[in-house]
Amino acid sequence: MAWHHRILNILRSNRVSRDIQREVDFHIAERVDDLVAGGMSEAEARRAARRQFGNEAARREDTRRMDIAEWVQSVAGDARYALRALLHSPVFAVVTIASLGLGIGANTTIFTLLDAVVLRPLAVTRPTELAYVGMADSAEASSEVNGSVYFTNPLWEQVRDRQTAFSAITAFGESSFDLADGGEARRIQGSFVSGDFFRTFGVSAAAGRLLTRADDVRGCTGSTVLSYRFWEREYGATPDAVGSVIRLNGHPFEIAGIAGAAFRGPDVGRESDVYLPICALAVIRGNSNQLNARSSWWLRVIGRTAPDVDVRQASARMAAIARAAFEETIPPQWAVNDQRDYASRTLIARPAERGFSDVREQYRTALMALMAGVALILLIACANVANLLLSRAEARHRELAIRLAIGAGRGRLLRQLVTESMVLAVAGAVLGLFVAQVGTTALVALIATPGPGGAVSLDLSLNWRLLAFTILAATVTVVLCGLLPAWRATRVSAQSAMKAQARGVIEGHTRFRLGKSLVVAQVALSLVLVVAAGFLVGTLNNLSRINPGFDADGVLLATVDLSRAGIPREGLDASHQRILERVRTLPGVAAASSSDLTPVGRSSWNDEIIIDGFTPTTPMDAVTWFNEVSEGYFATMRTRLLGGRDFSSADVPGGEKVAIVNDAWGRKFFGNRSPIGQQFRVRAGAGVSAPFIIVGVVENSKYRSLREDVEPIAYVASSQSASPGPRRILEVRAQGSPAAIVPLLRNVLREFSPAITVDFETLSGQLATSLQRERMLAVLSAIFGSVALALAVLGLYGVTSYSVARRRAELGVRIALGAVRARVVRLVLGEVGVVVAIGLVIGAIGARLASTQVAPFLYGTQATDPMVYLGAAFVLASVALLAGLIPAWRAARVDPIEALREQ
Amino acid sequence: MARNRNDILQGTLALLVLRSLAVAGPMHGYAITSHIQLVSADLLRVEEGSLYPALHRMEQDGWLRSTWGVTEKNREARFYSITARGRKQLAEEQASWSRLTEGVSRVLRYT
Repeated sequence: MAWHHRILNILRSNRVSRDIQREVDFHIAERVDDLVAGGMSEAEARRAARRQFGNEAARREDTRRMDIAEWVQSVAGDARYALRALLHSPVFAVVTIASLGLGIGANTTIFTLLDAVVLRPLAVTRPTELAYVGMADSAEASSEVNGSVYFTNPLWEQVRDRQTAFSAITAFGESSFDLADGGEARRIQGSFVSGDFFRTFGVSAAAGRLLTRADDVRGCTGSTVLSYRFWEREYGATPDAVGSVIRLNGHPFEIAGIAGAAFRGPDVGRESDVYLPICALAVIRGNSNQLNARSSWWLRVIGRTAPDVDVRQASARMAAIARAAFEETIPPQWAVNDQRDYASRTLIARPAERGFSDVREQYRTALMALMAGVALILLIACANVANLLLSRAEARHRELAIRLAIGAGRGRLLRQLVTESMVLAVAGAVLGLFVAQVGTTALVALIATPGPGGAVSLDLSLNWRLLAFTILAATVTVVLCGLLPAWRATRVSAQSAMKAQARGVIEGHTRFRLGKSLVVAQVALSLVLVVAAGFLVGTLNNLSRINPGFDADGVLLATVDLSRAGIPREGLDASHQRILERVRTLPGVAAASSSDLTPVGRSSWNDEIIIDGFTPTTPMDAVTWFNEVSEGYFATMRTRLLGGRDFSSADVPGGEKVAIVNDAWGRKFFGNRSPIGQQFRVRAGAGVSAPFIIVGVVENSKYRSLREDVEPIAYVASSQSASPGPRRILEVRAQGSPAAIVPLLRNVLREFSPAITVDFETLSGQLATSLQRERMLAVLSAIFGSVALALAVLGLYGVTSYSVARRRAELGVRIALGAVRARVVRLVLGEVGVVVAIGLVIGAIGARLASTQVAPFLYGTQATDPMVYLGAAFVLASVALLAGLIPAWRAARVDPIEALREQ
Repeated sequence: MARNRNDILQGTLALLVLRSLAVAGPMHGYAITSHIQLVSADLLRVEEGSLYPALHRMEQDGWLRSTWGVTEKNREARFYSITARGRKQLAEEQASWSRLTEGVSRVLRYT
């Protein structure tokens, strides 16, 4: 019966049964009339009529068959039957559900992250209306932003006042604030935002009010809005928080309100805890704020397009106001040709539906590669499940044949088998969701930067996209894993199966070949993953064993900020010197120094240098890295001095300016001549600095990342600093554990002034942070590779055991005829060998093709490195051999008498 | 329940119903049983218990159409009539019935 009739019937089931009842009543009445007419009494006639109608219950049952209820009931019956069957073979059930659960779980985990980081639009009102504003060289107005989406505050004010493209527009710049009033810092993330920030994103307040244009006027005292999550974390979500005062970097701000829970800001992965109006910069930074700085690029701009304007039109309208906006804000200290370039820039608008994201930039390709990896895992898991289902269907061959023979429809049997896979898939999906829940949390922890403000804030709650994905994954799994074995299993002919243990080498053969090809596919796919893991683990290994040109172990970094200690500008260097001297006397301190920057840290500093006799070929040719360090820096870092001298207390501000360069710097600008005694100058805006005399050469070291090639670096002396800042980083080499120094150092600083702010980190921790993406890839690929390997081995073991079981009789005969047991083992292992070898060859080709995916992440190894392929193949082959040994050993121990008796 | 000799052979009920409706026009269920019994000179008797399920199934297969009407005795009854698809089905079943009887009689004639 057509399924839609059934559905119609259930919708009108009441009417149907009423109709039938009326019809039957009519029939009986007619019959009674006839019988009475034939001379029967009325009562007798009624009884006879009913009797003649036959078994009422049977009739009902028969008539109801057209009800969907019956259909649903039989499906439920199938499911019950499937569950019972699975409970009878727990090992099969556990292995299958675990395979599916791992496959689906891994896919869901990576997809959750991919969705949160890459795919999902911002959680704001109508995100498609959002567009960011960037800068382009006017010559190529249609091209992409020339690297810059960052605005200065004066430029932003021009844009804000002149633009007509957007119904609301906002600028925002991130910052971090210290909640502590001196002592060890408690960092939180914050943003300076323009007045229309919340209006642009269509955010409503969870409590209190949000910032408006009235809050963002020059000279404001500053109100602040907290993020919902910060409000929960710090204030337990109490409404009292609104109107109270929060101290940021020691300055009081009134909490005006709380942003809505869904809003996480325009930066995917980074969420601000507090939002301050841009004008509050004057409160936080005092006179050195950037409100009027024309070359301090820190604000990004997003607008909401007006209803009748699309992004392309908005872009054109922005270009129209560009000239005036740039001409009004030319940085006065720039060289003339730079100023000309500046004035000729133009503005463009581009869609910003998904906001900005550093996390996205950093992890997009990695997540894509991982997605491909987990898809392979799901395939392997499917192959495993298909193989298990095949073996199982084979074992039930006879049962199925009998059921077919006594009249079960093939469709009915198929449905039974598919129901069984469905039950497995549902169980697998449930387990998968659980795995995903645990996995995503672990993964986010893996990409979070340790230390202040490094947590990655993502909305990873279950959403429809994710649910749809899981359901899709489960369904695909069922179709792949369930239908094929089911179809094959029901193709048995009744006769063949009735021939009891039919010494069926023949009909079992195709099934066996299919099982083998599934294992070949598994071996091939896992080789791809193991090779990828080999590359990525190798990369992490190479990077962590690299000699960075300094010794990171046992070095504590303390970022000391004197800005709140009330020390005048001239006294800053002396204060830092005194702190350093005091730290050097602490017990457990082997050496200490201070510097402006630390290697592989978050900041960098480059400048263009001028050397007599050196003509740069490109604008970047004369740009080198810089750092400002105290004497003793190289000794503390264990960077070797190759020639000349270290800085010393004799290098004073008034004296001759000195510099130390690294080997690469010397070679780049002076070739094989010694750079010692040579001099260079630094371009500063339109002018040029006084000459620096090179007094020493040190070995090369990494500057920004462990991956970079050797780069030229110049070091200048902090004792001669042109503009000593309040913030400096202490490097302290501990004799024992760096952690033991922390409380001592904290006391020293408190003695100096309780208003000093300090952040602690270790240099090795900083290096580890820089390898986060590599570590994530290595850890995950190793996990994926192992899972794939385990699944493939399981598959191989299953298929070999099965083959041995089928060939028991044959093996028995062989042994009876005098085959040596070692020969039997060889026979079985030979078969395993063929399967594995084919799998490895296919896998190697696949891995080579896939290696282009991982190539961008590699360091110190080539995507073509044959050793990695051979190593992976070796690992796979040895594990496969182990998997084959057990059944082979079992084969060799076949007792010929018993094996033959079974026949 | 003991099987009557004149029970209708499985699978032929549809043929009989279709044929009756095709020849005699729309009828209600009771009339169909009476008609078959009458026309077959009491050789065939439709078992009521299986007639109605069969009618419903045939209706859902699109061979029959039914409407509620009133009989001469002023009782409500459901009247069945044959559809175009039903006629096609009838032709097929008739053909296969002829083949069957032809075959069976040939076997019986064989000496």
